[in-house]
Amino acid sequence: MATTDTAVSLSNVRKTYRVGEPVHALDGVSLEIPRGSYTAIMGPSGSGKSTLMNLVGCLDTPSEGDVFIDDRNVGSLSGRERTRLRGTQVGFVFQTFNLMPRLTALENVALPQLFQGADRVERRERARALLERVGLADREDHRPNELSGGQRQRVALARALVNDPAIVLADEPSGNLDTETEAEVLDLFGEFHEAGTTMVVVTHERHVAERAERIVHLLDGKIERIEELDGVTDELDSGANR
Amino acid sequence: MRPGASLRLAWRSIRGHKLRSALTTLGVVIGIAAVIAFVTLGASLQAGIIGDISPDDQRNVYGWAADPDTEGGPLAGAQPIFSQDDLESVEELEEVEAAYGYAPIQSQSVSDGDEQIAQGDGLIASGPSYIREERLADGRQFEMGEREAVINPAAAEQFEENVTVGDELTITVIGGEQTTVEVVGITDSSEGLSPFEGFESSPRIYVPTDPYYVEQAGGFGIGDGGGEDGAETNGGDGADARFIAIIVEAESTSEADIDAARESTVAYLESDAADASEFLGDDLEVTFQTSTELLQQLQDILDLLQNFIVGIAAISLLVGSIGIANIMLVSVTERTREIGIMKAVGAQNRDVLGLFLTEAVILGIIGAILGTALGLVAGYLGAWYIDLPLVYPYEYVALAIAVGILVGILSGLYPAWRAARTDPIDALRYE
Ligand SMILES: Nc1ncnc2c1ncn2[C@@H]1O[C@H](COP(=O)(O)OP(=O)(O)OP(=O)(O)O)[C@@H](O)[C@H]1O
Ligand SMILES: [Mg+2]
Repeated sequence: MATTDTAVSLSNVRKTYRVGEPVHALDGVSLEIPRGSYTAIMGPSGSGKSTLMNLVGCLDTPSEGDVFIDDRNVGSLSGRERTRLRGTQVGFVFQTFNLMPRLTALENVALPQLFQGADRVERRERARALLERVGLADREDHRPNELSGGQRQRVALARALVNDPAIVLADEPSGNLDTETEAEVLDLFGEFHEAGTTMVVVTHERHVAERAERIVHLLDGKIERIEELDGVTDELDSGANR
Repeated sequence: MRPGASLRLAWRSIRGHKLRSALTTLGVVIGIAAVIAFVTLGASLQAGIIGDISPDDQRNVYGWAADPDTEGGPLAGAQPIFSQDDLESVEELEEVEAAYGYAPIQSQSVSDGDEQIAQGDGLIASGPSYIREERLADGRQFEMGEREAVINPAAAEQFEENVTVGDELTITVIGGEQTTVEVVGITDSSEGLSPFEGFESSPRIYVPTDPYYVEQAGGFGIGDGGGEDGAETNGGDGADARFIAIIVEAESTSEADIDAARESTVAYLESDAADASEFLGDDLEVTFQTSTELLQQLQDILDLLQNFIVGIAAISLLVGSIGIANIMLVSVTERTREIGIMKAVGAQNRDVLGLFLTEAVILGIIGAILGTALGLVAGYLGAWYIDLPLVYPYEYVALAIAVGILVGILSGLYPAWRAARTDPIDALRYE
């Protein structure tokens, strides 16, 4: 059950796609993500990582089971409330950055505030402060195609943080970056985690995952095991979850 | 989302595709320009015509005989059937103050001494009171049966030495016959005196039907040309001259008097006593109208034409809005990913809807403004070309902008709705 110390809680979540044969992208997942924690999610391609992220990020609703964000059951919310929850509580960072091509770095960072009704001055001040924090103060008027990959990802990270979300979700955030820029971005993740933001990062790479406090291993839509990075590996029998 | 913010974002994406946006608005521009141009022209035309009717013309009823199926303005399809006897009998009717014929005479030229000027039309035969006293700038009305004429300033100024009262002019009619007239009066303006002439300014010479029209009709081989006694002796040779039109003056300008004059005249003309009656039947009927009614007819034709243009413009607007809708749909598809991003970072459906609607409405308004400007310029040029007083129909400008907004909303609604419905997960996956 969700407690005040839990940012996100999934209980027995199932996500089924029906394209001919039903595909269980997630097949009975229960998981608690504590507030302020840093979680990595690993698993082979098609194991359900992105599906899990979409559920946690309030973009999607489960076919079965419940998802709680901030103690609110996502499945019972209206579409509008869900969008609102997503806008205020969740920040997304994508593998492909997903910045608005015609907007400048500053405008991209300010974008999520637009939908929360913040005024122009407030938006710009906040966006500028965040760009400064990710080290791009001198790039605020650049458009995404005038930025390097690492810079774009940093803009995306600043955007994810602009509404002060409880949780930041990153789906393969360093997949398109070279080692050096990857390190930059991951350092920032660490900084934000230190500052109290709940981080969830999907990755294929062990060294990325190792920056987290624990790694959730997915396989075929089920949690295979949860690895606590203080050394202890908590073998999880998925059968015990039922 | 604040309206200012969606305006800025929408404007951004319009500016991002300048050519496409320009082409999109073209349909709206053309449609609205057509409406505005025509409405401007129509209003100017109306002002030009209505401004010319003098109130004392209001007790005149203008009559002619034509196939009832004939469409058109005064005298369209008119046949010469009114005899001199008919005119005199009508004038004797109790309800009628005066009645006289009206007939344009085909001429070739007019000369003042040695100076000859070619003039094919503008020689008009009618009764003395056709030229109302107050329209005379100089001299007097001509008298029936005399070789006299009243001319207008344009006719007087044609000659090197302006023609003045007392001068004698020589008129050569079609066929080469020559006749002389003494100018006894000059009118105060060169515009037409009745709807029969039209209202534009041109040189005109007004002469009594007798002798001029009677003679000319005679010249066409009906008789010897009754000459001066044609009018006085009922049933002489001149009685064979038939007039194409008749002007009846009622006792007063009141509607009752006008109707009474009109009814009794028509009743008489259709009775066996009238010479005209033998020609009348199913395919030839007399029409009697006041100049206000005639103008109404003109106005009706104008309205018809205007409706036609407005219809074409409406089709153009329809095409224009389909254009906007089409471009918006393409743009929605093209920006699927952007829509997904916006929704992922917290955009509500109504934010996305508002954004795309705003874009469509901006396109509609731009189209309306450009179209209005273009239409006003075209209307201005048209009015200037046919020499009309320019009247800007301002209320239509407001209407055009409203139509632009409406077109924007209507054509943007479906694409915007599609955009709003986009599922962010699918959209983010969209390549
Ligand atoms: N919209 C959909 N319709 C049908 N099946 C889907 C849909 N989305 C995902 N799936 C299926 O669900 C499963 C999990 O997909 P998901 O995208 O979560 O994988 P993933 O772990 O993120 O893989 P990758 O590492 O390649 O990104 C896959 O087998 C996929 O085919
Ligand atoms: Mg994935």
